[in-house]
Amino acid sequence: MSLLEIKKAHLKLDNKQILKGISLSVNAGEVHAIMGPNGSGKSTMSYMLAGRNGYELESGDVLLNGESLIGMAADERARSGLFLAFQYPVELPGVGGIAFLREAVNSRRKHLGEKELDHLAFVKEVRKVAGEMFVKDEMLKRSVNVGFSGGEKKRFEILQMAMLKPTVSILDETDSGLDVDALKTVSDGVNSQRSDSNAIIVITHYQRLLDYIVPDYVHILSDGIIIKSGGPELAREVEKNGYAGIINAS
Amino acid sequence: MLLKQNNEYIHSIQNYVQAFEKNSFRHIASNDFLKWPDPLEETWRLSRLGKLTRKKIEPIYSDFKKNIHIKAKIKNAICLSFVDGAYREDLSDELPVGISLHQLSEKECLSFLSKIKKTNLANHPSANSSLSCTPSIIKINVDPYFSPNRLIEIIYSGGMDNKSVHPVLYIELKKSSNLSIVERFNHSGTLIMPLQLIEIGELASLKSVKIFDDNKTTYNLSAHSVILSDKSNYNSFSLIKGSEFTRSETHAEFKGEHATMNLNGVYISGGDQHHDLTTAIYHDFPNCTSKQIVRGVLGGKSTGVFQGKVRVAPGAQKTDGQQMSKAILISDKASANAKPELEIYADDVVCAHGATVGELDDDQLFYLNSRGISMDKAREILIIAFLEDIITQSVDGSLRDFIFNEAKIGLLSILE
Repeated sequence: MSLLEIKKAHLKLDNKQILKGISLSVNAGEVHAIMGPNGSGKSTMSYMLAGRNGYELESGDVLLNGESLIGMAADERARSGLFLAFQYPVELPGVGGIAFLREAVNSRRKHLGEKELDHLAFVKEVRKVAGEMFVKDEMLKRSVNVGFSGGEKKRFEILQMAMLKPTVSILDETDSGLDVDALKTVSDGVNSQRSDSNAIIVITHYQRLLDYIVPDYVHILSDGIIIKSGGPELAREVEKNGYAGIINAS
Repeated sequence: MLLKQNNEYIHSIQNYVQAFEKNSFRHIASNDFLKWPDPLEETWRLSRLGKLTRKKIEPIYSDFKKNIHIKAKIKNAICLSFVDGAYREDLSDELPVGISLHQLSEKECLSFLSKIKKTNLANHPSANSSLSCTPSIIKINVDPYFSPNRLIEIIYSGGMDNKSVHPVLYIELKKSSNLSIVERFNHSGTLIMPLQLIEIGELASLKSVKIFDDNKTTYNLSAHSVILSDKSNYNSFSLIKGSEFTRSETHAEFKGEHATMNLNGVYISGGDQHHDLTTAIYHDFPNCTSKQIVRGVLGGKSTGVFQGKVRVAPGAQKTDGQQMSKAILISDKASANAKPELEIYADDVVCAHGATVGELDDDQLFYLNSRGISMDKAREILIIAFLEDIITQSVDGSLRDFIFNEAKIGLLSILE
């Protein structure tokens, strides 16, 4: 059974058809890359999957672990094991990093029927994982994402992913705004989370990220539909010929 | 009809003062209570008392033996208790040497009355009715250079249906003294009209926290006058959350140079509550600084009002007056009003004000939801964050946790 299955997803925003029948099946242990030019519907797809208000499907279905996500609010989806790493992580002034992470992790644990972690046990766990993700202690003490550099924000997203241990993670343009060193750190963090029991969807413009997070499958999204799927070589084709070549060819 | 009811309350005040000598301070004050504020009057336009004035209310006769369970909430505080507006020594802690408390004599009351008449509270309904009907005027005096190592917690409780309650407090900080006070309003009657005069001497400093948490059918019309001398400091924070209707009105006057003041406040309103923070700051002397931050959170059908007037007198150069209010509406039917007012008659001053009213940010809510945090919890987290900086800035030490907790209790009650 697929961990995530998107079936003929159609979605309109402001009366404009954005997703025009996307279908995608993602199995455990796989990494899928979704590539596409600006305006192809990549971010809409990630919001649709995460359950943002206003991004409800017009028709089609999305199954997580065989269970339909339709009608499920964003927080329920997250507790069920879906994770979205934001392209632009949102600043939360006045919300401390540790308190935020703890609330999120305990929401997930409660859902899974696990015991909530007390403050000390939690801080110990966060410190350990944060160290592996190169997230400094001082960052955890600050308000979430406030005053973080681009790289810090993305590292903090991946730290959340590592703490929440989602079944399916969607990384929305995680490479945007990162220099080569930051890209490598963030990619290492993501790679350390790859396992046989979870799956990752990487949404990106550029092939560059896929040198670090090597996908099993690459899909080209254009004008709200997947026009071509293939292996990692498809990403290199994009790099060589641009999207136009592939779009025209199809 | 309205007028008739108005007259009834005036009659009841006059009846109350009958028992006292003709030329007593009470008679003089009662003669000044002519009517409730007109709803068209500018400073009362946003906080109308119509519903209150239609009630049949009489001043309470304090029962000095009324048995009431008073529970101090702050660790190690010196607890002072007012029941039905009357100071209750039997329910209060002993004050340390350096702070004294006494009931003003008739002569002192007359001089207190004339002091109030010179302030801008002269026509406030709580000034005149509370001077007429208070069981006694209580003065707390802090000796020069004295700084107690404990704070004072004042608890106002009692009250009855269809009765008005009148605690009057006069606080004087002598030169270079310090004091920290937390006042908790916990009345359960129809109307409470606290009146307060605070005089802060040269180089003295007062930290004041007020928590308005009266019963949900109570009207609280508080009137405070603060007078600051040279190089003195007044640091005030108000949290309004209880009652049906609370208006906390503070008039602060700089009567010396290089004095500083923070007049911050938070109101948390839900249901049909009406909460009003009205302030007027008079920069009559040069080189003084006043800062105000106000935050409101409104749910249900509640209304919030912030009126802040800053007046800079001619010659009050180098005045720094800042004012910022922000309100968050968490319901479609709630409303917030902000009315900043600057009157500046000096040319070398820095004055600024800003006011915003908005809703919780969708992006922030979605970000929290996307991490598995429920919508209710996400709202709570963002509202607490919204109040975080003002509470952190306004209150220090162990008191901060206490205030946070009080604010959280208020929030949970309006988020339900």
